[in-house]
Amino acid sequence: MVDLKEVMETNNMVASENLDVRTITMGISLLDCMTPDLDDLCDNIYGKITESAKDLVSVGDEIALEIGIPVINKRVSITPAAIVGSSACKTAEDFVKIAETLEKAACKVGVNFLGGYSALVQKGMSKADRLLIESIPEALAKTDHVCSSISLGSTKTGIDMDAVKLMGETVVKTAEATKDRDSVGCAKLVVFCNPTDDNPFMAGAFHGVTEGDKVINVGVSGPGVVRKAVSQTKGESFEVLCETIKKTAFKITRVGQLVAKEASARLDVPFGIVDLSLAPTPAVGDSIADIIHEMGMEYCGAPGTTAALAILNDQVKKGGIMASSYVGGLSGAFIPVSEDSSMAYAAEIGALTLEKLEAMTCVCSVGLDMIAIPGDTSASTISGIIADEMAIGMINQKTTAVRVIPVIGKKAGDTFELGGLLGSAKIMPVNPYGCADFINRGGRIPAPVHSFKN
Amino acid sequence: MANRTIITLAGTDHPGIIAEVCNYFAQNNINILDLSQTVVQEYINMMMIVDLSKYSKTFPELAQDLDAVGKKVGCTIKAQREEVFNMMHRI
Repeated sequence: MVDLKEVMETNNMVASENLDVRTITMGISLLDCMTPDLDDLCDNIYGKITESAKDLVSVGDEIALEIGIPVINKRVSITPAAIVGSSACKTAEDFVKIAETLEKAACKVGVNFLGGYSALVQKGMSKADRLLIESIPEALAKTDHVCSSISLGSTKTGIDMDAVKLMGETVVKTAEATKDRDSVGCAKLVVFCNPTDDNPFMAGAFHGVTEGDKVINVGVSGPGVVRKAVSQTKGESFEVLCETIKKTAFKITRVGQLVAKEASARLDVPFGIVDLSLAPTPAVGDSIADIIHEMGMEYCGAPGTTAALAILNDQVKKGGIMASSYVGGLSGAFIPVSEDSSMAYAAEIGALTLEKLEAMTCVCSVGLDMIAIPGDTSASTISGIIADEMAIGMINQKTTAVRVIPVIGKKAGDTFELGGLLGSAKIMPVNPYGCADFINRGGRIPAPVHSFKN
Repeated sequence: MANRTIITLAGTDHPGIIAEVCNYFAQNNINILDLSQTVVQEYINMMMIVDLSKYSKTFPELAQDLDAVGKKVGCTIKAQREEVFNMMHRI
C-alpha cells in the first residue's frame, strides 16, 4: 500500500521541483485529406484536425487534476505538409493558405503548438518540397502556433547540401519576416538530421507517414527533479551519481507512461510512445545547466561538461526505458539556450560557447537549440552551422537539429526576449570566418560507409 | 471514476482538522480505508486512502469541495488517484 513518505516525495517534486508532464501530442495523419483542389484540401484538413483533437485539451486537464501533476502542453502534429499539399499547391502562397488553415484549426482545438509544416528532403527536393520551404518565412510570420521542421540529412541517405543552402537562406528570410518580434519565426523553425516520426516535442514534431491514422505521444519532463536528486550526491562516486539519475528518471517516466495510457484510453486513440527527453523551462531550477552544475562543473560549458551531459543522457535512458512499454521520439536531454535560464546565463558570461554547444550535441538528444545569433550573420554561415550539425547526426547515427535565431537589428551581447516557454537570452557571437565556397558547391554529401549494412 | 484515491492534507495543526475532513467524507459516502499522519513542530501532514465507489459527484467537484474544506481549516487538501503513486514507487 502507498505510504505517506512516497506521497510526500511525489508532491514535493510537483510543488518545489517543477515535476510535470511536458506535453501530450496527438499525431494526426492528413493523408486522407489529400485532393487536387486547394479549398477542398483546406476544408478537409480543418475538419480532420478539429474533429480528431476536439477533446485533447480537456482530457489533458482532466488527467492532470486527477493525478495532481500538471500536464503543461497539449499539442498536435500532422503529416508533413509538403506531402499533404503536393497535388493541390502550385505556388508558395498556396502553402501559406495551408499554414493559415492549420493556425485556425490549432486555435479552435486550443493547443499551444501544431507541428508538421514540414518537408523531408534528406535525399532530394520535389517541386512541392521547394514550394513549402519557399513559403516558410511568410507562413511563420502569419501564424503563431504553426511549427515547421525540415529534414536535411540522414545516416542512410547522406546530406542534401542544396537543401542545407536553401535552409540557411530561409532562416534569414524568416528572421526578416518577423523582425518586429525579435525574429520569433525562427523559434518555430528547426532543421533535422535523422528526425523521428513520433517526436512529441516542438518545433520538430510531425506525424510520420509510417504512423497510423492517429496516435498519442507523451513527452515527460523533470530537470528540476533530477537536479534536486543530483544535488544530494555531492562528493559521491560516479556509481552513486548514475544510480541516482537512473532511479529518478524511472519515476518521472512512470508518470508519463500513466498519462499516455490514460489519454489514449479516454480519447480512444492508440498510445504511441513516451519520449524520455529532459526538457528544461525558463523556471528557476528547471534546468539542464543546473544539473551539470550539481554534477561538479562551476558553470555549464566548463571542461567536463560534455562528459557530464553524456552521463546524464545515458542514465536518463537507462532509467526511463524500463519505466515505459514503448519509448521513442528523441529521448535524451535538450539543451536549448534561451529556454533554460542557467544555460542562458552560462552563455552570457562566456562559460558556454557555440562550439562547446556543438560538442555537447554529440552526446545528447538534439542539437543547437534556441540559440540567438547576430542579425547580420550571413545565410552561408548559418548553412555552415547546419551542415556541421547534420554531419554529427549522420556520422553518429543520431538525431541532430539546428534552431538558431538570427535576431535582425541586434548584435552579439544584446538581449533578445521571446517570453513564455521560449525564454530570453543574450545573443551569442558566431565565428566570423566564411564558408560560402563550401556551401555553394551544390549537390549531396554521400551516405557514410557505416550506413551500408545490407 | 477510480475508486481508491489518496487525500493529502498539509498545514498548521490545530484541533478539529480531521473532524472537519471526515465530516465531509461521511456526508458524501466516502469510506476511509487507511489514515496516517505526522505532526512536526505544529505542522501537520496527513494522508488518507479513501474509496470513492459510492461517491456521487465527479472528481473535479471533489477537488473543489476539498479546496473549500481546506480553506475552512487553514490547510491545503489535495485528492489524487492512487495509481500515480503506485506507478512511481512500485515496479
